[in-house]
Amino acid sequence: MSYAALDLVMLGAAALIALVAVVFGRARVSWAAAGLALAVLLVATGVFDNLMIAVGLFHYAPHSVLGVAVGRAPLEDFAYPLATALMLPVVWEAVGRWQPADVRTVIASSRPISWVNTAYPFAAAYLLSTTNISVTFVVGTLFFLVPYNLLMYGINDVFDYESDLRNPRKGGVEGAVLPKRLHRPVILAATLSTLPGMLYLLAVGSWLSGLLLVLCVLGVLIYSTPPLRTKERPVADSITSSLHFVGPAIVGLALGDAAWTPQLLALLAAFFLWGYASHAFGAVQDVLADRAAGISSTATVWGARVTARIAIVAYALAGVAVLLSGWPGPLAAILVIPYLLVVAPHWNVTDERSPEANRGWKWFLWLNQLTGFGVTLLLIWWALGR
Amino acid sequence: MPGVYLALLLITLGCMVILDWRYRLFFWRGPVRAAATLILGVVFLGVWDALGIGLGIFFRGDSPLLAGLTLAPEFPVEEVFFLVLLCYLTMNLYVAATRLLSRRGGVGGDGGNPS
Repeated sequence: MSYAALDLVMLGAAALIALVAVVFGRARVSWAAAGLALAVLLVATGVFDNLMIAVGLFHYAPHSVLGVAVGRAPLEDFAYPLATALMLPVVWEAVGRWQPADVRTVIASSRPISWVNTAYPFAAAYLLSTTNISVTFVVGTLFFLVPYNLLMYGINDVFDYESDLRNPRKGGVEGAVLPKRLHRPVILAATLSTLPGMLYLLAVGSWLSGLLLVLCVLGVLIYSTPPLRTKERPVADSITSSLHFVGPAIVGLALGDAAWTPQLLALLAAFFLWGYASHAFGAVQDVLADRAAGISSTATVWGARVTARIAIVAYALAGVAVLLSGWPGPLAAILVIPYLLVVAPHWNVTDERSPEANRGWKWFLWLNQLTGFGVTLLLIWWALGR
Repeated sequence: MPGVYLALLLITLGCMVILDWRYRLFFWRGPVRAAATLILGVVFLGVWDALGIGLGIFFRGDSPLLAGLTLAPEFPVEEVFFLVLLCYLTMNLYVAATRLLSRRGGVGGDGGNPS
């Protein structure tokens, strides 16, 4: 790709960001002021770019530039100030409409407590398949740390607005009720933060990693957005939810060019079953609240008891699947036991007593940290033994 | 002399901060707002640079003025400060321009009163 083509792609992305900020952020920009700023920036670029090139701070591959230059500065360099003058004032004005409390609410809507749950699978998968820390590692980890969660939970909150108001459990550690006036800012923040990282990962990866990344992001979107809204469809709800966490690991492996051995697939299957079980069991506690709010899930359609039993079986299957992974993976089967201990007492749960499952679910917040720690130790062991 | 470029960037950035402080342009107008705008800008331009490097368009020069630290292949540490400077300058200019235009009675952006 030539420098000019790269500029067109990035200017297109900048224009898209500006458009989203105007439409969803209702930014009111003084375009005259932005134009004035641009004029000064272009002159400054003309002067300083020439100086910087003259003293040899950087240079260009001759075949990739158009050859049109202002002094020594290639014409393409002027796309940088054009992009900043186009994009930053709009973002500034859009963010300026928020109040400080709104920023906190938007951040809370991305569930900071869960950030690590998506960043870690990516980071671990990528690191173990490439064994080196690169820009892709840093960009990917940051992408799955914040933007991905804003896209997942923030947009989820926008489409859950009605039901969240009727559910007293949402609003604390487990989520934030998002006022209607913040719906646009959340969509804005999710789009703005997702675009740069996504572009980068698509550009540096193979077609396979790109395809998996797009599927991973689509999975996050269809979970809560109509018409698919898989979170309200039995079975599909827990499948998409689990893939939100397994997906980053799969993308990390694809970006790291991992070999897809049967042992690795067994490990991913175990991770998937664990996520499936955790989501299904989480829905049990909400049966009554969800039914009252007219929301559908595996639990509201099949009842609390069947759903709890599916979760218990899926945990057990996760334990079996992990036994088929490469050494010392099978040891992770031990980590399944605390989950079984927490969920097993709910084998005979009834719809009426389903809110009691919240006690078990609260354990998960801590158990997940413990499991993460255990898995980390095993990964280190595996990496050292290679 | 290694580090001259970095030193010049830091001095210029210092000037941006002084202008910002004196005229309450960017961080002194809304710190969170400014941080969000600046971070987005630097990440966006950083991706642009990284793609350019990956596609084999730009190369780090062998200038003796560079400090010699690189964050990634062909990506000197100075580039981050340069991108911060470009974004900071853009926003100082923009806010100053909105004020200048509104003072002249034109349709202004966000006026002169620090919120």
